Amino acid sequence: MSEYHLSEQELILAADGELPARRKAEVAAHLEACWSCRERMQSLEGTITEFVRARNRELGSQQPSADGPRALLRARLAQTAAEPVRGRWLMLPIASWGRMGIAAGAFVAVFVGIVITFAARVNAEAKPRPMTTGETRPITLREVCEYERAEVISRDIPEDKKRAVFAMYGIKSPKPGEFEVDYLITPDLGGAETVRNLWPEPYSARWNAHVKDQLEEKLHQLVCSGKLDLTTAQHDIAVDWIAAYKKYVSNAR
Amino acid sequence: MSAEAAKSLPFPIAQSARSGGPSSLEEQVISLFDQFRTPLLRYLCGFQIPVDDAEEILQEVFLSLFQHLRQKRSEANLQGWIFRVAHNLALKSRLRGKRHAERFSYAPGVTAVAADQSPGPEEAASARQRQERLLAVVRALPEQDQFCLSLRAEGLRYREIAEVLGMSLGAVANSIEKSMVRLMRSEGNSNV
Repeated sequence: MSEYHLSEQELILAADGELPARRKAEVAAHLEACWSCRERMQSLEGTITEFVRARNRELGSQQPSADGPRALLRARLAQTAAEPVRGRWLMLPIASWGRMGIAAGAFVAVFVGIVITFAARVNAEAKPRPMTTGETRPITLREVCEYERAEVISRDIPEDKKRAVFAMYGIKSPKPGEFEVDYLITPDLGGAETVRNLWPEPYSARWNAHVKDQLEEKLHQLVCSGKLDLTTAQHDIAVDWIAAYKKYVSNAR
Repeated sequence: MSAEAAKSLPFPIAQSARSGGPSSLEEQVISLFDQFRTPLLRYLCGFQIPVDDAEEILQEVFLSLFQHLRQKRSEANLQGWIFRVAHNLALKSRLRGKRHAERFSYAPGVTAVAADQSPGPEEAASARQRQERLLAVVRALPEQDQFCLSLRAEGLRYREIAEVLGMSLGAVANSIEKSMVRLMRSEGNSNV
């Protein structure tokens, strides 16, 4: 029998199926030939088996029933499913423009007048009013970049906060799909869930919530690639997000 | 992820589910919840967070997954994605410092290991002692090593563990090697 034996690392990598393909065959051949290494491998497998059993049994005796959590999740999913999908910025505008085009063709001059008036109103809200100054929460660059965008920070804003924001802007009965109560400084960049960092952003404006999503994604990329300071990104999006869009997304409208 | 979960993953998510078809996306997510709940709860044991917090984390994970899929984001390595989100949420939860009396964890002295199914009481006692010894070794490991080992026990490959924990592949391999050597030595196998 050969004096050569497999290292600890090779045994563990072999047990886990993590050896490079070339080495895998060599290790398998050695295990066939070497009783000593085979015994070590069996001990390793035995320890793994026992550890897995220990973990399973430890939780098994304490795990609550899944019925309640499943029912709760089902209800929450139903509620979420009823809300419009965010982040697919192309979808809503195309549909909206299509509808607007048909309507404009049908109602010609009168409708155009209404549209102009309406657009003037909502475009005026494309930028938040001065009371929406933007607020941040304590966050490190690592935290900003460690998590995939929108994975950790819930973007769902509580209804009472939404009502407070609408009230602050004097909007009494917003229609579904007309506004998104949005963060000025996105949570992905450390924005806080406070009324001063929220404003009713119109979907139908030229500079709308979907356009701002693009800016938020771009800024996150720039910050996490080290090309932009987090503080600068927070400042620029808070002071004038449209100017920031023109600056960072480049294809200014 | 447990092996049984891996075998029956309904990936990729059917197009009909995305568009609210017969097998709706909501039901797909519920199905994933059923498959991953136990593996995720086992993983969250390592964070020593209250049961209620762990359950709430699971809710957030699968709501985020629903949004993720609804927005037609990548379905590549969804099990890694699920564990990564759970890991990040657990870190946040722990940072918030919520503390409750009821915990489930690798707490020393907790005889949570269920009665062994070995034939005789002596064998059962021996198996229980062995398992408690192994869990005690794991508890003594650095936290990152515990996470690596736990994710490996749930069936994640080294590359997936590296993605979940933001480590290099080499660091994962080293961590698991170090942990396994300690476990083996605790069993009296000094040659491994």
